[in-house]
Amino acid sequence: MKFPANTALRPLLIGYFWALVAPLLETVVLSPFYLTLDLSNAALLYVLGVVVVAIRFGPGAAALASLIASLCFAHVFVPPHFSLAITEPANLVTALLMLSVALLVGHMTARMKRTADYAVQRSREHAMLYDLGQGLAGAPDRQAVIAAARDFYSRLLDASNIDIYLPEDYQDEQADISKQVRECAERREIISRPAGNDRFHALVPLATPMGVSGVFSFEVGSRRLGSQDAVQFIETAASVVAVALERAHYAEHARRSELQNASESLRSSILAALSHDLRTPLTALVGMAETVSLGKISPERQRHMLEGIRDRALSISQQMTKLLDMAKLSAGKLELNTAWQPIDEVVGATLQLVKAQWKEREITVDLSSDLPPVNIDAVLVERVLWNLIENAVKYAPANTPIEMHAGRVGETMEIEVCDAGPGLAPETMDRIFDRFQRGKAESNLPGIGLGLSIAKTIIVAHGGSLSAHNRSGGGSCFRIVLPLGTPPCFDTAEAAS
Amino acid sequence: MSAPETILVVEDERQIREAVVAALEGEGFQVCEAGTAGHAAVQAAGRRPDLVILDLGLPDRDGVDFIRDYRAWSNTPILILSARTQETSKIDALDAGADDYLSKPFGVGELLARVRALLRRRLPGTPLPDPLIHFGEFAIDCVSRAVSRNGEALHLTQIEYRLLVFLAANPSRVLTHRHLLGQVWGGQAVENHQYLRVYVGHLRQKIEADPAQPRHILTEIGVGYRFEP
Repeated sequence: MKFPANTALRPLLIGYFWALVAPLLETVVLSPFYLTLDLSNAALLYVLGVVVVAIRFGPGAAALASLIASLCFAHVFVPPHFSLAITEPANLVTALLMLSVALLVGHMTARMKRTADYAVQRSREHAMLYDLGQGLAGAPDRQAVIAAARDFYSRLLDASNIDIYLPEDYQDEQADISKQVRECAERREIISRPAGNDRFHALVPLATPMGVSGVFSFEVGSRRLGSQDAVQFIETAASVVAVALERAHYAEHARRSELQNASESLRSSILAALSHDLRTPLTALVGMAETVSLGKISPERQRHMLEGIRDRALSISQQMTKLLDMAKLSAGKLELNTAWQPIDEVVGATLQLVKAQWKEREITVDLSSDLPPVNIDAVLVERVLWNLIENAVKYAPANTPIEMHAGRVGETMEIEVCDAGPGLAPETMDRIFDRFQRGKAESNLPGIGLGLSIAKTIIVAHGGSLSAHNRSGGGSCFRIVLPLGTPPCFDTAEAAS
Repeated sequence: MSAPETILVVEDERQIREAVVAALEGEGFQVCEAGTAGHAAVQAAGRRPDLVILDLGLPDRDGVDFIRDYRAWSNTPILILSARTQETSKIDALDAGADDYLSKPFGVGELLARVRALLRRRLPGTPLPDPLIHFGEFAIDCVSRAVSRNGEALHLTQIEYRLLVFLAANPSRVLTHRHLLGQVWGGQAVENHQYLRVYVGHLRQKIEADPAQPRHILTEIGVGYRFEP
């Protein structure tokens, strides 16, 4: 272990200075009373002085103070006064006794003081370590652990130029990292060198029983590395950080494999969806096309079959659109192309599309007249409304109306799409927004169970929410809640043009 | 009876091209075909079609560039066929001078309706010879700048009037946000989409029976507006 030699020479000199001066001062104050003051009282006063020096400056200073105090005592108070000559043997005993008591008391006091100081220091260190542990316990990943450790070293150890090297940094032979960092990690010990300005640069290995999870590099004041205890404290702190770092590493690992499992199960859901929900209508298409091409059926049935082919193909195309939407949405960050616009415009455009697809279906729309503009990506919100209406068309009987309401509720806008169908089964209620969940599994209704999931993803990206509930009179309702916010002010006065 | 109109179909997918051509021929149109932008340019110059149906994803050249070059010498209506992945190039194509678009997959019925609508107004963007425009129960007198419903005067602000006249003068044509802003407000305003939305809202309140389900000023989400008389 390399750590710098004790450089605290100055406080030591100050200690000895006071050990010398304190008894002399005391003598100057007490000397006028050399005739009236009892010999033993004078000795006790000197011992008191030694105790003070011992508490303040430690054992060495206390010993020096004892010696000086004894000489002063012998010189002033022991007859003959103001002479070091001691004529009476009894007085010699008194002086020697005084010397040994002063030495003993001074030594004991200094030791007790040191023990107390040590205890205080340790308890402070423990409090710091506890704080560090608390900070690290809440850190979810390696970045957070490093941030907490950085904060600890800079705040409590007054360290600067803090850097952390992770194994992937220094194991890379090409990386431009000093040899010392590798050495520190390999030998698992602190390496320090003077950095000037009474500061030291230290490399501390973050070692755990499993290995070295990194190397901490920082600069601290020399007294932070000045003693075995201080170094031990830094090592303890480092091992706390190391364990946290290792835990975070494994947690990240676990998260990654969880994510991998999730995408694995998504992949199999996609395969299932493709194989059942798309292959079935494709089989029908092939069958119908071949039947028509044989030319053995009546023109009436032929026309009917061709219409069937068109409808099936359109339906497949819509499923493909949803799969592509989902792929786009799950590919990562969803970028919204938002603009402030009246919601009626989006509703109107959706209804235009719906009317083109389901001419007969009755859809009632009820929009409050005072609707403020909303900041939305119109293309995506149109997909949401379309998906919700398509859902209602699919699951509610053809002769029942579909209703759409929009209104302002506090600081939000609520849009509802409701039907008078069978409603949602309570047991599927919390799963309907999951991918590849269908109202009726293996049903003959076309679809792959992505519409609601896409809708929810889009609405959540707008900072809103999408929920479903059953209506009291039968049927289900999907409710979109969008935050309103403050539209930008702009002058609609004609003068502006 | 006048000679049948000629339509140029530019599409690299053979099956789609065949289906479109068959549908158009079935309706009595003269049809010529091209599978590449290069061939299309030759056909357009040689056959002088009355309408061009153009797929944006051509193998040899960007469809938008083709439109720009074509617009330099011809104002023949252009109907774009676009796949869903070409959202932005669709807007670019409309800004470059295309008149309407259809997203794939489209129905033949819809295609024929768009073709007929575009052929009805053969000369897009040119000043109308008739200063009176009629649609629904409305009449616009471009000379006295007056709009009336069933003969009764309808008050419009100046911007609303300009917007309505421009829309009505370009029926059945998709007008992008940029295009409308540039025409009605002037060049500096082309990015202020919310101006446009607010004024379209006002206009719908005045001329639509149900502003939420408009009959005349239709929204093309993410693209612009289309006026249907």
